[in-house]
Amino acid sequence: MTDVKSYLRDWTMPHVLCPGCAHGIVLRAFLEAVDQLQLDRDKLAMVAGIGCSSRLVGYVDFCTLHGTHGRAPAFATGLKLARPELNVVVVTGDGDGLAIGGNHLIHAARRNIDITVLLLNNAIYGMTGGQAAPTTPEGAVASTTPAGNTEPSFDACKLLIGAGASYVARVLAATPIEMTKVMADGMSHRGFSFIEVLSDCPEYYGRYNNVGGGAEMLTWLARRDAGVAGPLSSKGFVKHVPSSATPAGMMTGVLKREARPVFAGVRRIEPDES
Amino acid sequence: MSSSSRGLLLAGVGGQGVVLASMIVADALLRAGHDVKQSEVHGMAQRGGSVFSHIRWGSKVDSPLVPLGSAEVLAAFEWAEALRWVPYVQEGGAVVADIRTIVPPGACSDRRSWSTRYPDVDAQVFDCRHLKTRLIDATATATELGNVRAANSVILGSLAAFLDIDLLHWEAAIEGLVPRGTEEVNLAAFRAGREVADARLPRLASAPEGFSGPHEIDIRHEWCKGCDICSRVCPEYCLELDVDGKLAVVNAKACTGCRLCELLCPDFAIEIHPPPAPVVLGAPVLSR
Repeated sequence: MTDVKSYLRDWTMPHVLCPGCAHGIVLRAFLEAVDQLQLDRDKLAMVAGIGCSSRLVGYVDFCTLHGTHGRAPAFATGLKLARPELNVVVVTGDGDGLAIGGNHLIHAARRNIDITVLLLNNAIYGMTGGQAAPTTPEGAVASTTPAGNTEPSFDACKLLIGAGASYVARVLAATPIEMTKVMADGMSHRGFSFIEVLSDCPEYYGRYNNVGGGAEMLTWLARRDAGVAGPLSSKGFVKHVPSSATPAGMMTGVLKREARPVFAGVRRIEPDES
Repeated sequence: MSSSSRGLLLAGVGGQGVVLASMIVADALLRAGHDVKQSEVHGMAQRGGSVFSHIRWGSKVDSPLVPLGSAEVLAAFEWAEALRWVPYVQEGGAVVADIRTIVPPGACSDRRSWSTRYPDVDAQVFDCRHLKTRLIDATATATELGNVRAANSVILGSLAAFLDIDLLHWEAAIEGLVPRGTEEVNLAAFRAGREVADARLPRLASAPEGFSGPHEIDIRHEWCKGCDICSRVCPEYCLELDVDGKLAVVNAKACTGCRLCELLCPDFAIEIHPPPAPVVLGAPVLSR
């Protein structure tokens, strides 16, 4: 096992993310997955748009492409078609991937092009100052919704299942080992793999909604997991958090896995083709 | 202790039936026509307390407590309890002990390798005081008979070999005191305990591979932003933020190498190194 820090461009470190931001934990889990799969770092391309999560590609010593806001899946589609031998991974955030680049994401999923999308969902626009995103839960306070968000929020995994992604999973940033496992699984999957990571934003979401700092937010995230929160609160181990800022429980784990023809430009690759 | 009374001791951990066993012993002694006094304490032996019972008998007994170094027999239901109570046994006395080990959570020093500070099962510890020993595996015997909970009766059977009480009294006491419906298995366990041979002592385990002491916590301070996640997730409270928000290792020895802090550090600022040189733990292998 190599030290995952060897995959970093260490002259760029420490990274720009705020104290307690779980995006760094996600990056580490991703590097562990790359290490597990023994991917060639010159054959791994990371593509990102704009946002806190998209900043991650600046710190890794792979082929990286920092594109325009929301257009990372489009850049990645072009890259994969031109250089099919590359492993293409898109790192995007909830605002970048679901609002500004929502169209690009769903159409990449519909085509089932062989790329992996990591969507780091921190339920807010962190980089631009804490505005409400499509994933901000109903009732949560953001800088644009000081009295609580009145709009319902997105379930990104359900959207991507509907759009036709052939691998859909959701993991918690608080569970790094499971995160690594799912990421390695998703990158090995042939076809469009979508992995939503429930990350945190202590600086805006945590502060506005009185959740707390990084450590508190990671615990709070675990309680968002329907598979964890249900049994725990029913046994009284944790106090149920009735706060309006807490969205309904979400299931984690691999939610969909399907073998489907993969888009490769003028032709398509059948599932049983080598 | 006056010459007219004699003493014995039973010790174990919670749930093993020490108290019931001591009631059976006391009842059998009463049936044999002795004056008997019995006193018991049940207080979480695995958490630092004790689960034991003193019994004294003779023509006339004034106090139930057995003074240090004067018990004729010690019946221990668990290995560490045998070692703990052996000072109560008189020179040349007897120890009946179950060699089963129940490692308390507090003695577990490394959860990754399961190394413990639990004493080795080694009959030589009794040699210096010229004690007669009978080291059995009561749990296995009781399991063979079909009810693991009859292990205390197996120990009573072994204990009976050191006491001059008629078998009839023992059997009457057992039948009268064990829960309804378990008389048969307890009597069978008692008889098996009289005959059961000393258990083969387990060979002392060598140190688990890969374990050689606490892990080293390496903090890269120039990358640390003081978010406090690591210190909050550490199960052993090894890390702490000081007043300036600078991370410090406060209890390096307690680190078990679980790597939670390393995996959950968003800033790649913590690295856990396995200890540098392997240290050989444990006593040499006991041949028997």
